[in-house]
Amino acid sequence: MTATAPRRTGAPIYEGTRIPSPIPTVLKTSRELEATGDILTINFGPNHPSTHGVLRLVVDLYGEDVTGLAAVIGYLHTGFEKNMEQKTWWKGIPYAPRIDYVSFQNNEYVFVGAVEKLLDIEVPPKAIWMRTALAELNRIHSHLVWLGTSALELGAISMFWYAFRERETILDLFELVTGYRMHTRYFQVGGLAEDIPRGFYPEARKFCEWMPKAIDDYETLLTRNKIWLERTEGLGLLSRDDAIALGQSGPVLRASGVDWDLRKTEPYLAYHQVDFRVPVMQTGDVYARYLVHMAEMRESVRIVEQCLDRLEHMEGEPWIADDRKVVLPPREELHTSMESLIHHFKIVTEGFRVPEGEVYFAIESPRGELGCYICSDGGPKPWRVKFRAPSFVALEATATCMHEALIADMIAIVGSLDTVMGEVDR
Amino acid sequence: MALDKPLKDHGLKSERLLWPSKASKFEDEVNDLEQKVGLTTLAKAVAWAQTNSMWPDTFGLACCAIEMMSIVSSRYDIARFGMEPFRGSPRQADLLIVSGRVSHKMAAPLRQIYDQMLEPKWVIAMGACASSGGMFNNYAIVQSVDKIVPVDIYVPGCPPRPEQLIEGIVRLHEAVRAGVPPAYEIRSVAS
Amino acid sequence: MNEFDDVPGLIEIVEKHAETTIVVEPASVIEAATWLRDEAGFNFLSDITAVDYLGWGEKGVSGYIGTAAGRDLNTPMTQGYQVVPLAKPQRFAINYHLLSISERPRRVRLQTWLADGQPVQTVIPVWPTADWHEREAFDLMGITFTDHPNLERILLDDDWDGHPLRKDYPLGGEPVRFSGEK
Repeated sequence: MTATAPRRTGAPIYEGTRIPSPIPTVLKTSRELEATGDILTINFGPNHPSTHGVLRLVVDLYGEDVTGLAAVIGYLHTGFEKNMEQKTWWKGIPYAPRIDYVSFQNNEYVFVGAVEKLLDIEVPPKAIWMRTALAELNRIHSHLVWLGTSALELGAISMFWYAFRERETILDLFELVTGYRMHTRYFQVGGLAEDIPRGFYPEARKFCEWMPKAIDDYETLLTRNKIWLERTEGLGLLSRDDAIALGQSGPVLRASGVDWDLRKTEPYLAYHQVDFRVPVMQTGDVYARYLVHMAEMRESVRIVEQCLDRLEHMEGEPWIADDRKVVLPPREELHTSMESLIHHFKIVTEGFRVPEGEVYFAIESPRGELGCYICSDGGPKPWRVKFRAPSFVALEATATCMHEALIADMIAIVGSLDTVMGEVDR
Repeated sequence: MALDKPLKDHGLKSERLLWPSKASKFEDEVNDLEQKVGLTTLAKAVAWAQTNSMWPDTFGLACCAIEMMSIVSSRYDIARFGMEPFRGSPRQADLLIVSGRVSHKMAAPLRQIYDQMLEPKWVIAMGACASSGGMFNNYAIVQSVDKIVPVDIYVPGCPPRPEQLIEGIVRLHEAVRAGVPPAYEIRSVAS
Repeated sequence: MNEFDDVPGLIEIVEKHAETTIVVEPASVIEAATWLRDEAGFNFLSDITAVDYLGWGEKGVSGYIGTAAGRDLNTPMTQGYQVVPLAKPQRFAINYHLLSISERPRRVRLQTWLADGQPVQTVIPVWPTADWHEREAFDLMGITFTDHPNLERILLDDDWDGHPLRKDYPLGGEPVRFSGEK
């Protein structure tokens, strides 16, 4: 079996299924090749500059062809879910963003949103719009980190600096609003932690004006670049049916021709009130995933602008729900109202209680469908929290995408699946 | 050349050794110290060379790795310290910035990477998780990376801002220039 | 007349918080899964979550049954105070969160209850993505999936003892000394 050269543009996504069997996530070298004695088994990672974190790939090579592949994960297993069972609902919020540490606001939102779904609490519109704006800024941030690191791994080293330049601007915006760059714990059950400071809107507008030009820069560098095309076109093919069978979502699914975005099909936050397009490509290769990411960045900028348009008229509105059983009362009230004092005491010492039940809440994180399953026993602490991580599932598709690939392609393919090991291992 | 007492017991009062200016009190103290401790000019030159091109190894694990990547970016440019080539191979690296939480499964590769580095080598434990286990006091995370490798500098934060990490790096450089030996010479791993 | 009444092995259908949960017998999980994928169009498996209910309701959970609107006085025999949550059928619950990627997007949760040590059939033939989800449930909760081609530990060391997410497994970690202590 010799390697076929990567196909150029116009190649159709394949017929049938390429999911290996019997194990769907492991490519196994065929018997004939093993018998030749020329198979070299190497180990990629967990400490590797190009595996996007602590991923270990055990790869069988026949020359430069990858004939066998198995992913070993768990090097970043943190025991989030067990830890969150020991903390109250409020104290569990800082754990959530550290799972997918690149799109942290989305993680915070999925946890907070699931609790709000169980509590059946109504979030004020200002908080909804601000959460949308922050989630989209986070989407741009995540795509920038993806772009910078994936391009770096394929040799387009300058992209890293360009992408991180914009990333710093976004982190400045987060710092302006929340006080911290990453892992902001700004999303609280019922709304936002604090009011939106003045000065956020002009800065965010400046960013929104600048960002499309920056994306133009990136596209100038990469999109029609011959080397980039050679290294990404026709690789890592994933057909529509295989992608759905393998549980792929997000840009990987949309690059394979499936028009599926939870922001459109199951709208949450303010997505049904903003106007944006969902980019879908038909070729299912690494290049298509790149194009989807770039187009999504542009759409996210448009969404942020629309959110800012609405938010600028919401000066003075409440940013968190008024429910004193869940949300701390404003400090001024503590001086005058006995009930507020009691509520404050109960919420701080014991924690607010979430009614018994189980709920699964899913959002469209930059990587795909991020879901949070919560089971509550009616008490102040969760009984079970489970995060459905899109990167965990994306790595399951590595074996299918690596059908007849070279070792150099492996870096491109694993990069294009946009995995973050924190969320894979939780 | 190893110090037998902490620097302050030698009479060194001020802590920071930034770009020394003419006729600074600190310079006098350092000169005094040199005479007492016996730092030679060659050692100073070697330390100067070591600190000015201390190449880190790519050991980004979790969230802190993203902030570590941002010190390479143009705003917090670590190239001005000579540290922008993050070597993929530990054999070519001097500094191991353990950025992120270390699970028990990762402890063995961490020690292996550390062992593969050549002396002199330094370790910065970046972030709360590497310094002490952070918010994850549980079955899965090693409670401080100094149980596995001897650590020179602990940088707190969750994740530390890039400026905090650079402060940690600068302090490491100062310590090296002041003659403090790498951690493996003065202590072993914690129990 | 619910659209899910024909699911093989059906025990009950629960609708709460705008979500539908289909509870089936453990022995008919694979038939129910095939039915749901082929007849009902749930071609996408989002997640497999295993939950351990050991000790459920033992700590009296006093406080309100209720929502933001206040105590719910209509739950019988409680006056709105929830003292103990209702007992669960078995110790472990496996939840399969399904999604229909189609013109009619819907979600459903397929749920089955297992005793400690009772295995359940793998659903890899229905949704290949179940491979790692089931390995994770095995690794962290100790649930065995029969006919799984590669049921190994995935997140923890291969020689790890025990299943950490079970309720009888301690959190671990170190006791923290506080600086005010002598």
